[in-house]
Amino acid sequence: MSSEMSIPSSLALQQVLRKSFQHLETNQKTWHSVLAECIPLVGSVGNLAQQLRALSNVNIPNTPLQAFPDLQQRLHFKLVLALDIVLEKLNEKLVLLQSVRDSHSNQLMAAFQLYERDADTLDLYTCTQRSPVAPSIADMLEWLQNAELYYKQQFLKRKTLLHSLMPDDLSLLESTPERWDSLETSSGEEYITDTLFRVSFFVESNKGE
Amino acid sequence: MSLRVLTQDSADRGSQRCRVGLGLMSTHGLNLGSPVLVYIAGGTCLCTAWPRSDLTEGFMQIDLKCVTPNLIAQPSLKLSLGPSQLTPLTCSKLRHIKVTVVVQSVDFRKKTPLHIINELVKDMMKGVYVRKKHVVNVEDWDAEIKYVVVEEVSPDCDDAGLVTAKTSVNIVGTQTQRHFQRQLRDKPVDPLGGLDEVCASLREMLELPLFYPSTLSSLGVSCPRGVLLAGPPGVGKTQLVRRVVGEVGASLVVVRGPEVVGSRPGESEEALRAVFARARAEADEGPCVLFLDEVDSLCPRRMGSSAPENRVVAQLLTLMDGMDQSDRFLIVGATNRPDSLDPALRRPGRFDREVVMGAPTQQQREAILGVLCGKMPLAPSVDMADLAQRTVGYVGADLGALSREAAMCAIRHDAQRSGGQEIDMSHFQQALKTVLPSCLRSSLGRTDLAPVSWEQIGGLQDVKLKLIQSIEWPMKHPDAFMRLGLRRPRGVLLYGPPGCAKTTLVRAAAAASHCSFLSVSGADLYSPYVGDSERALAQLFQQARACTPCILFLDEIDTVIGSRSGGESPNSVQTRLLSVLLNELDGVGFKTLERRGTQRVLQAEGHEQSPADQQKLDYQEVCNKDVMIIAATNRPDSLDSALLRPGRLDQIIYVPPPDPEARLAILRVCTGSMPVDADVCLEELAAKTELYSGADLEKLCKEAALLTLQDEGMGACSIKHTNFLKSLDAMSPSLTAQQINTYQTPLS
Repeated sequence: MSSEMSIPSSLALQQVLRKSFQHLETNQKTWHSVLAECIPLVGSVGNLAQQLRALSNVNIPNTPLQAFPDLQQRLHFKLVLALDIVLEKLNEKLVLLQSVRDSHSNQLMAAFQLYERDADTLDLYTCTQRSPVAPSIADMLEWLQNAELYYKQQFLKRKTLLHSLMPDDLSLLESTPERWDSLETSSGEEYITDTLFRVSFFVESNKGE
Repeated sequence: MSLRVLTQDSADRGSQRCRVGLGLMSTHGLNLGSPVLVYIAGGTCLCTAWPRSDLTEGFMQIDLKCVTPNLIAQPSLKLSLGPSQLTPLTCSKLRHIKVTVVVQSVDFRKKTPLHIINELVKDMMKGVYVRKKHVVNVEDWDAEIKYVVVEEVSPDCDDAGLVTAKTSVNIVGTQTQRHFQRQLRDKPVDPLGGLDEVCASLREMLELPLFYPSTLSSLGVSCPRGVLLAGPPGVGKTQLVRRVVGEVGASLVVVRGPEVVGSRPGESEEALRAVFARARAEADEGPCVLFLDEVDSLCPRRMGSSAPENRVVAQLLTLMDGMDQSDRFLIVGATNRPDSLDPALRRPGRFDREVVMGAPTQQQREAILGVLCGKMPLAPSVDMADLAQRTVGYVGADLGALSREAAMCAIRHDAQRSGGQEIDMSHFQQALKTVLPSCLRSSLGRTDLAPVSWEQIGGLQDVKLKLIQSIEWPMKHPDAFMRLGLRRPRGVLLYGPPGCAKTTLVRAAAAASHCSFLSVSGADLYSPYVGDSERALAQLFQQARACTPCILFLDEIDTVIGSRSGGESPNSVQTRLLSVLLNELDGVGFKTLERRGTQRVLQAEGHEQSPADQQKLDYQEVCNKDVMIIAATNRPDSLDSALLRPGRLDQIIYVPPPDPEARLAILRVCTGSMPVDADVCLEELAAKTELYSGADLEKLCKEAALLTLQDEGMGACSIKHTNFLKSLDAMSPSLTAQQINTYQTPLS
């Protein structure tokens, strides 16, 4: 009796999950592209930092450029301005990353809400039943959760990195590209790709119907 | 069925999942991701239930993301759990939480504005189930924020709450990780007994600038920053500091004197500066106490001009002066020889306050014993008040040793017979024999005396009564003394012909009252150096005062203390000793260092002293105040008259040679342990022994016994009357009528 009852709700949940994974795929693509766009920007932060360092090392009155008034201050101003612009752009990218994170969180929340609503009719055995083409509901919820955690952590790390930058701390600015790269964990990326492979049959199966 | 706890998968780290089998989930009515509380190792962990990926039963993996603080300090998990240790919780969405944030470095705390920290915390906490007084571990985010301590949740409930995007996060404080972890580690502090007043005063100094900084600044006063604790060893100075620091949650930087002293010139000063820098850094993270233990070794009185210690002293002085208002740490020094400190250290601005912790009074001892024995299984026969009365002169450390020894006795006793492990009074009595008060340990008059009861002294009823009046009554009935406005006498002089039990009387008095008992003779005091004897006597009094109530016994006082009226030169050692004694007996007052017990009630505590308390304190004063002198002499005429006036040796008791009745009593006591024939007539002997002293009578009995052995061989089993008469014939009395006459003329 109960298994017959739970079939419709499990189907509905599977539908939502399917949609979530489709979203995850697009999200992952957006995430990747945004990160790829960030790389030159971060590189230029490092560049500008090096230029600022060079400027602070040189003593302009001792060079042929001494004829130009206030050259050091002007150059410094220009470089800082450029740095500001780059950081502004990076912030925009950050907002994009945030939107990816949020949209994924919303998907997950929707799936969970649906599950909680129907939790009385969905018994645990139905939730943990796996078939050759489809993983169990529990597994899929878990993967979505892990992906959410990954996005949250990645976003937070990048955000704190950008927040910690100070215009007067040159060494920190110079090391920005390396630190940005080091935040990329291959295992986390792979996990999401793996997940998407694992659910590919399940996601595709719907399209066939 | 118990669950085996396995380490969690790396993919689960930070997910707050608790992996269990499906069967367990359904028996507990758990759904996927529903919050569950796990009781482990004295704490709880809030998780979300999740089935294991292989769906097997009997195993459990926990992610310790949200736990009670004690699990952070010791994350060792038991290897198995019972299913009853899981409790499903209902869950509500939270509107509001109050948190304390634990960050890694002071730098981050200083540089990062609060709204950014707030944003970060909000991001981290979103989707996490929390519970009041739990700590959320966010170390795996690799951010500067390490832990988030949930102080309050709203709506307030005991169940789990989910932090959502709509939950507002209020940060009530930030702490550094080091400070937080130390606080967790230092939590369990042993309570201290009998030091409440000192404790409160120290805590007040620590907390005032911390909690009411604006009040202090508006008053325009700077808070005291230095306290000197002075007191004899073992009263608990170091423990007190540790306890207060633990209570306030401050960090503690300890400097032990010898540790900072280096061999190369300048090394010690540098070490000292480093210590102050460390304290300053700690003070940035929270309240901090810099504790200079045994400060007398670090800062001795400066002498000469170029001693290397002088530089250390100077460095310490400048460092203490150089603390500015922003340095919010308190310096506490502890010493048992405050007089050997450099005087420059003891002025306001350096050590502002000096707290004297004397040897504990009777009430304090009772409190200390109460704390020490709090965890011991005591038999109902143990009377703490009685024990406190017997342990005169014991400091906290001695009492600790005493209770430990008593417990050991109980264990030894219990090993012989099986039964309930209880410590009763007999164990404490046994321990009292082995643990002696450390106050008197190095004192020169410390004597071990075999206890003598009043019954063992024949006759002398009047003298006994007078002694009991002046020694035992003030101890046992302080309320009666208070009521009638009486004071216990300062001193008692026993005089009388030799051999009439003066010394034995004192012994009995000491045994009957549980006082500490010091006995000095001329040999203890005299020394070839000028001034040494006087100092020894003064020191003796000082020690005696430290462990009052105390009886100081000066036997043969006429030889120790001279008289100014006699023909002796006015500057002899005896007359100088006399002046010391007069001063000590009736001096102007105590030295501040010898203060004991409770002196003042703190205003800040808002604690009114009830009249009953006050009365109790007064009683205590009666028996705690003074050292009692008992002097004995057989030449009262050679004593200085100043010594004999009321207020000094005010009870002058003549111990007469025994009259016939007394002689009979003495003979009874002496023959009590001897097998005497039925024909022995003690009354006849008593009548025949006119002018015999107690000592003579004892000798008479001994002689009779020896004569018996001589006559009848070693097998003799009873003493005949003839032997007594024989020995009486052989002896002559040691007293003469003329001698007795001189005693009976009243003392001028």
